[in-house]
Amino acid sequence: MTRTPAERVLLGVGIVFAVLGSLFPFVWFVLTSLKSPLAVEAIPPTWWPDGNLGFYRSALAEHQLLAYVGNSVIVAGSTTVLSLALAIPAGYALARIPMAGKSWILGGLLTISMFPQIVIAGPIWQLLNRLGGLNTHWGLTLPYVALTLPLAIWILATFFKDLPLELEEAARVDGCTVWQTLYRVMIPLATPGIFTAAILTFIYAWNEFFFALLILTDPAKQTLPVGLALFQGEFTMPWGELAAASVLATLPLIVLVLVFQRGIISGLSAGAVKG
Amino acid sequence: MADLVLTGIDKTFGHQRVLQGISLKADDGEFVVLLGPSGCGKSTLLRIIAGLEQQTSGSVLIGGQCVDALPPHRRDIAMVFQNYALYPHLTVRENLAFGLRMRKTPSDIIEARIAEAAELLEIADLLDRRPKDLSGGQRQRVAMGRALVRHPRLFLFDEPLSNLDARLRASMRVEIKKLHKRLGVTMIYVTHDQIEAMTLGEKIVVMDQGEIRQIGTPEEIYRQPHNPFVAGFIGTPPMNLLEGRLSVQARKCLFEAETFQLVLPIVPEKGGMARPIPAILGIRPEDLLPHPEERPIVEITGTVDLVENLGAETLVYLAIDGKRLTARFPATYRVQPGNTVTVYVSPHRIHLFTKGERLPFSCE
Ligand SMILES: Nc1ncnc2c1ncn2[C@@H]1O[C@H](COP(=O)(O)OP(=O)(O)OP(=O)(O)O)[C@@H](O)[C@H]1O
Ligand SMILES: [Mg+2]
Repeated sequence: MTRTPAERVLLGVGIVFAVLGSLFPFVWFVLTSLKSPLAVEAIPPTWWPDGNLGFYRSALAEHQLLAYVGNSVIVAGSTTVLSLALAIPAGYALARIPMAGKSWILGGLLTISMFPQIVIAGPIWQLLNRLGGLNTHWGLTLPYVALTLPLAIWILATFFKDLPLELEEAARVDGCTVWQTLYRVMIPLATPGIFTAAILTFIYAWNEFFFALLILTDPAKQTLPVGLALFQGEFTMPWGELAAASVLATLPLIVLVLVFQRGIISGLSAGAVKG
Repeated sequence: MADLVLTGIDKTFGHQRVLQGISLKADDGEFVVLLGPSGCGKSTLLRIIAGLEQQTSGSVLIGGQCVDALPPHRRDIAMVFQNYALYPHLTVRENLAFGLRMRKTPSDIIEARIAEAAELLEIADLLDRRPKDLSGGQRQRVAMGRALVRHPRLFLFDEPLSNLDARLRASMRVEIKKLHKRLGVTMIYVTHDQIEAMTLGEKIVVMDQGEIRQIGTPEEIYRQPHNPFVAGFIGTPPMNLLEGRLSVQARKCLFEAETFQLVLPIVPEKGGMARPIPAILGIRPEDLLPHPEERPIVEITGTVDLVENLGAETLVYLAIDGKRLTARFPATYRVQPGNTVTVYVSPHRIHLFTKGERLPFSCE
């Protein structure tokens, strides 16, 4: 495609605005988190921080940030593991096993994943109440798994479908059972798809606020988003600590995406067939 | 090693009949080629033998044992796939070892088998590479090696050379032939390439639309095609096939196609054809000769339409009373379009088909 210079300039400006616009709040928080308490309240606001790490110290020490991080890691981690453990075989089955109404199942999955959460909040609360799952990590993990499964299954089914059928047949001739074919041949080849599903699931569980607030009322059990939202200072809103905590809450996600990106990009399946 | 017997194999996908009444036998150590146009069901038949597909009816016997209820890995077969199907995440060595590992073969035996196959296929220096770092020909060798290390009773090949360029294909063909000689194992080989079929096959099974049209040696298939399909499918350029009517007269036959007429000094073995019947006359381009070489001989005179010089030989396209014939002459034969020429064919080299079958006859 060829573009005129004017179009190119317009495109460039658009991209810069889009990036700046979406990054600005985050940049502002990073800057704020590195300021001293005085600079935060200054009017007019100062742009450049003085490199003070005091907010980080107090966020960690006085606001038990690490406890929230720990809770989030437990919930988001187990959500990801459980969701994928179910989604991988389900996606594989949907991709490969001939069954009636397959397109309805896939369509249904996508529809379910778009339901507004408020619709199921009541029933979930009641269920968990009866099961004794309120204020427990598994009680939060369970709805998370249910909510992330459809998208994970959808992603994996699409991915498995695109892998060459011949490879599975070769595995069958070589003596693999269905499960062995899945974990010895298909899963290694589907790593990009699995990473994608894993990251999306993890991010969802890491960021989710509504159910976390509903299910976890005990501060010792709360996850990061709830913890941050309920950050209380004694007299004023602790903006500095909030900013520092937000940065710390986002860092793991950035690291995770950067690490997994390699797995997503590596074209493992190149050379599988002819070429 | 084992023989293979198929009896009455049928296969339908939904409402579509893909195979009908396929019965054939491959002797122990025989090289059998399944040949046919695209979509005729060759791959499906091979996959049924492998156990990757379940036949609708009929049965498969390998070494006298009915394997219909056995999954692929218990049939003791190895298959080489069209697109090689090498495991991309494993090295060549691991690819070769995979099937043996799954069978819990002791690792010293695995090592020995890999070394043996690597030497035979000259892939020893590729063992630590991954498939994506191999050329097409090398992948092809590895795919064969993966079948080889298993020491199976039966080798199945599904168009293994179709992704290679012409030169590589020719050399791999020779290697497969050598491999078969050396191993002496039964091989079933699917292809739509008749050169592969003619050069590799000890027995060729010609298929069309899910049915077997003829089973025979390359020589038989070429010299004695049982029906117009086989006659037209085998040979390049294809056999000249003329549709017309055949009437039997005293000690000779008359073939007529509109204004084209040919008197043939032959007598059908089954006599008693009072009235003219629809028939197809077949003559291979190379059986049309520029000079009469023996007696009796049939003469055909026509006009030259087009001449194609192929270097070693010349293709001459003739128009004869509205019909077209292709003749394949030595390159030394000189002729110009527009010339009137007479070509000759021995009655022994003529093929006649009536009701879709070969009409046997004797020459006077
Ligand atoms: N799983 C399937 N479901 C439905 N139809 C199928 C299936 N597999 C094959 N067919 C049909 O069966 C017919 C024969 O297919 P097959 O692959 O055996 O042909 P082939 O002779 O190997 O052709 P080619 O030379 O192109 O590989 C085709 O018409 C194909 O569309
Ligand atoms: Mg095929």
